Parts: sequence; structure tokens; C-alpha cells
Amino acid sequence: MRTLAVRAEGLERVFGEGDVQVRAVRGVDLEVRPGEVVLIMGPSGSGKTTLLSMLGAMLRPSAGRVEVDGVDLASLAENKLPAFRARRFGFVFQDFNLLSALTVRENVELALNLAGATGRSARERAEVLLRDLGLGERLGFLPEKLSGGEKQRVAIARALANDPAVILADEPTANLDSKIGHEIARLLRRIASEGDRSVVIVSHDTRLKDIADRVLWLEDGEFRSMSEMATDPVCGMAVEREATPHYARDGRTWFFCSTACRDEFAADPHRFSVSAAVA
Amino acid sequence: MGARVAVGRRNLFSERRRGLLGVAGTAAALLLVLAVGAVFDGAMRQITRYIDTQPAQLFVSQPGVRNLHMASSFVPLEDVEAIEAIPGVGSVAPILFAQDGLETDAGRRLSYVIGYVPGRAGGPAELQTGTEPGSGEIVLDESTAESLGAGLGDRVDALGTSWRVSGLVSELSNIANGAAFVRLEDFAAARELRGTASYLLVGTGREPREVATAIERATGLEATTREAFSASERELVSDMIGDVLRILTAAAWLVGFAVVALTLYAATRSRLRDIGVMKALGAGRGALSRVVLTQAAWTVGAAVVVAAALTVGVSSLLARTSSPVTMALEPGALVRVAAISVVVGTAASIAPLVKVSRLDPASVFRR
Repeated sequence: MRTLAVRAEGLERVFGEGDVQVRAVRGVDLEVRPGEVVLIMGPSGSGKTTLLSMLGAMLRPSAGRVEVDGVDLASLAENKLPAFRARRFGFVFQDFNLLSALTVRENVELALNLAGATGRSARERAEVLLRDLGLGERLGFLPEKLSGGEKQRVAIARALANDPAVILADEPTANLDSKIGHEIARLLRRIASEGDRSVVIVSHDTRLKDIADRVLWLEDGEFRSMSEMATDPVCGMAVEREATPHYARDGRTWFFCSTACRDEFAADPHRFSVSAAVA
Repeated sequence: MGARVAVGRRNLFSERRRGLLGVAGTAAALLLVLAVGAVFDGAMRQITRYIDTQPAQLFVSQPGVRNLHMASSFVPLEDVEAIEAIPGVGSVAPILFAQDGLETDAGRRLSYVIGYVPGRAGGPAELQTGTEPGSGEIVLDESTAESLGAGLGDRVDALGTSWRVSGLVSELSNIANGAAFVRLEDFAAARELRGTASYLLVGTGREPREVATAIERATGLEATTREAFSASERELVSDMIGDVLRILTAAAWLVGFAVVALTLYAATRSRLRDIGVMKALGAGRGALSRVVLTQAAWTVGAAVVVAAALTVGVSSLLARTSSPVTMALEPGALVRVAAISVVVGTAASIAPLVKVSRLDPASVFRR
């Protein structure tokens, strides 16, 4: 039994040099167990995507190391990484990223092909996965004919195609309405629990907290304590209590992602949930 | 190994209009290549048709002359007896030959005019209609007659004389010249030639090369086998129009290369996001190269088929007209074009392959 699916130690990523040098990720440590759902939140530009790229073997770290399923990614030559990605990871993207020229079934089958499974076995595996996710009637459809929720379920089927140890999801609910977003969130939870897979989600969506075993806050490339965070009552985004616009009334204080949210709240506080206030 | 999802083909034809335009553009360029080659091959075949259909194995000419086209040859008729006496010689038929403009009120056509003795070698292989030329009469190739607006019984000017059309033959015109036949003595009278022929057509009962050697030894004339004479004729004409042909063919290949390269580049560029996704999902260099090369193979393969079909169609349409232009699509030419197309398709794939190889898989996270 594996004890850790993902282990990152002292992970750093620097872009550029000299005056234009940017340290996108700074000394991040992360351990994810099989069956665990880890939600990484943070403002735009905080380094979430860079971190996800390094965890997903798409970007080499400037320093530190990533171990996935017991394999140190640094030990793999560049030409071995694609095959490693195909077999060990499943990816779920905000924009679904289905190949528009391929049918639903072919999109899943392609992932199997990339891992070496071809022909009838790949086709049948793709169909089983899609049927399990309620897409049995959509096998021959092109992605453009699907709803957002269906597209994301196809993407999840594709992510599961090679039975990977780790699912990396980038804003998986961002382009979905509330109901469908919730369904997708529960599906990700189920995938982790039933398949003993590690699911790492990067998102702004606070609703995903409900299905996460752990929530981490990434800001300026570093993990920060969630206790320092508050929720913007207008847009629902997690925000840092310091250095963000706030609004105080009747001895309580609310924190906002922007002055626009604060002004909207101030105009009529009763329209919004006030539970996010700090006394 | 089982089948894989045909990403390249699906990418290429998912935007049907672009895919078909790519195939059509490439096919147009290949059609030009094939058509130029087919016209050339057709012309070569046609240009030696008179020679190839003669019932004689040797062409005897003035020393140093091994052609009809643009050649001038004088052979003394007194040598005929000497040649007839050579063992292995079956028959000797003199012909007079000139390139001259045939004229009617309706038009003018540059033609081979051949004077021959009816019933002997040197004349047309088969009359389409009418009779062999009598005194003051001329037999024309159908295409030549049509371009002159002349039919049986009409009059045509040639060799400074007016002739009455007595018969028509087919398929002896070529891209450069028409064909006309008169009696040997009429030709000689018109050109005031005495005791001379242009060529002697010799029928042999033995190995023609041995007889040719004997004729050359006995007369000092040039004796060439029909096959060698025909090949020499083709070589001369090929040298004359070869540069034009090569320039046209090179231009067509350049256009074809540009169209294939543009099609593949556009198809790849429009699918960069998808290719990035494939890279993120674990597509290695081999899988991505397969996508680009499949697109190239489909574009070029479909274009070769379309171009070959169009060339065959155009050549059969041409054959139904009286045009002196004939097209012959040789299997070898088709294989050569297909092989070069593969090279062109592969070369045209280089830029898309470089683009794909440089694509950052993490770009799929960017919005």
C-alpha cells in the first residue's frame, strides 16, 4: 500500500533573470496521500498553475524535488516524461480541453492510446468509463454538442482512462453553473475515495472546500495558513484579511477581493450572507 | 498493434473546407506537373509516330543525319541499286522530306511533307478515308486538314504548288507539325530535285544492325535502325523543349510545396491548443509527429489521386478532339510524381513539426 502519492519538497520555480526575475513558487512542501483530496486556493498570479505544472511533470522545478507514486521526477529523462504523464496522471482542466475534432469516445480512447492501449480494448475501456459517468448516449457526439457539465465529465473520464494514481484538476468547476459544479465536485470526491486516488485541485471556488480533505492557501508562491483567510461575501472568493478592502459595521468586519465587491456590499449588506463577518 | 484514434485525419478534415481546399490546391499543382509531363510524353510518342509505324527496319540518310525534325538530308538515288544488292536487304523505298507551311484560305499549318511511292514504305500506315495520292494530289492528317479547313477534294498549297486533297489519315500530327503526303515524283518536281532522295527506308530480312553496318560500309551513308532513329528524334525534340518543360515542372512543384506546407501549417496552427492538450496528456514526439505526418499523407495522397484522375479525364477529352496535343499519362510518371509528393509532403511537415515540438505542454493551463 502506498503511503504517499505525491511528495514535493522545497519546490521552487524561478522565471527570468536579473531585474525581471520572478519567483513563482518558493519553497513549497506538499504531501498528498492516496484517497485524499487537496484543494489549493489562492489569488490569481499566486503560483497555483506553476505548482500544478511542476506536480504534473510538465515543468522542471528550479530547486526542490517532486516524487510521484514513489518516482522522483528529476530522475526521468525529458523523453520519458510524456509516457510517465500518460500513465500516472489524469488531468482535468477549466476549459475542458477536449479535442474538438474527436468524438466523446475518441477523446477518452486517445488518452488510452497515448499510454499504449490501442484497438478494441481501448475502445471498450473508453465506453465503460463514459457509461459509468452517464455519458453512454453521447459516445459519438462531438464536444461542441455537449453541455459544460457533460464536457467536464468526458474530461474526467479521460483523466481516469489509464487508472492514474494522481488526478490534477485546474479550476474544474469554474465554467460550470452552481448545480453542475457541485456534481463535478462530488464526482471528484468519489473518484478519490473509491479509486484510492490522490486528487489535487487548484481553484478559486470555495464550494470545493466541502469535498476537500485539506485546503491550502497559496500566495506569492508560498503556502499560508487558512486561519488568516476570510471569504468575500459578494463573490465568495477566499481573501487574505490583511491588505484587502474591508467594511466594518455594528462591530463586525467583512473582507473583500476588491473595492467593487466592497462597494456593492456596502450599498445593501442585507442582500448578502453576513456570516463571513469577523467580530 | 490495434488501431489508434486517427487524430491527424480528423484534425485535417474536421474543418472540411480548409482540408478540401488544401487537397484541391495540392491537386491543382500536381495536375500541372502531371499534365505537363503527360503532354510531353504524348508529344514524344506522337512526334515519332510516322517513324515508328514504317514497315522498314532501317533509315538511310546523309552521313551525320539521324533525324527528320529540322534535318536536311540528301541521298543519291544511284545508291539504291547498291543497297538492294547487299545481302539481307529486302526492299528500298526512297522518300523526300521537307518541313513546309501548308496553306488554304482558312489557315496555315507547319507540316512535315513527305514524298513517297504509293504502295511502298514511306507513306501513311493507314488511310482513314479517301485514296492514296495520285498525281497532283495530297493526303493530309485529319487534324492538319481540320486546322486548314480542308476536306476531300479541296485544294491546299504546299511546296509552292496547289494540291487536291485525296485522302485523310489519322494521328500523325504532333504538337509542332502537321503531316502531309504526296507522290515522290510530284515532290521532286515541285522542288526541282533530280536523282536524289532525303532518306531511303530499307526493309531487312536479317538482323537490322548487321545490314546497317554493311550499308554504311558499301555506300558511306548513315544507316540507322528504326528504333535508334526514333530515339534520336525524341532526344532532339526533348532537348529543344526540355528547358521549358523543366521550368514549368519546377514551378508546379514549388506551388505544390507551398500549398502543402501552408495547408499543414494552418491545420497545425489552428489545432495548437489540441496539440498542447495531447502533450500534457502524455503524447511524445512519435505520437505528435504521427499527427502531422498523417495530415501530410492525407493531403498529398488525396491530391495525387485527384490529380491523376483529372489528368486521365483531360487526356481522354483531348483524345476526342482533333487537337494535335495529346497527353499520355505513363505509369512511371505517376509513380515518380507520387514519390516526389511524399518527399514534398515530408519536407512541408518540417515547420509544423518544429512548431509542435516547441509547444509547452503547460500551455494548456493558460487561458
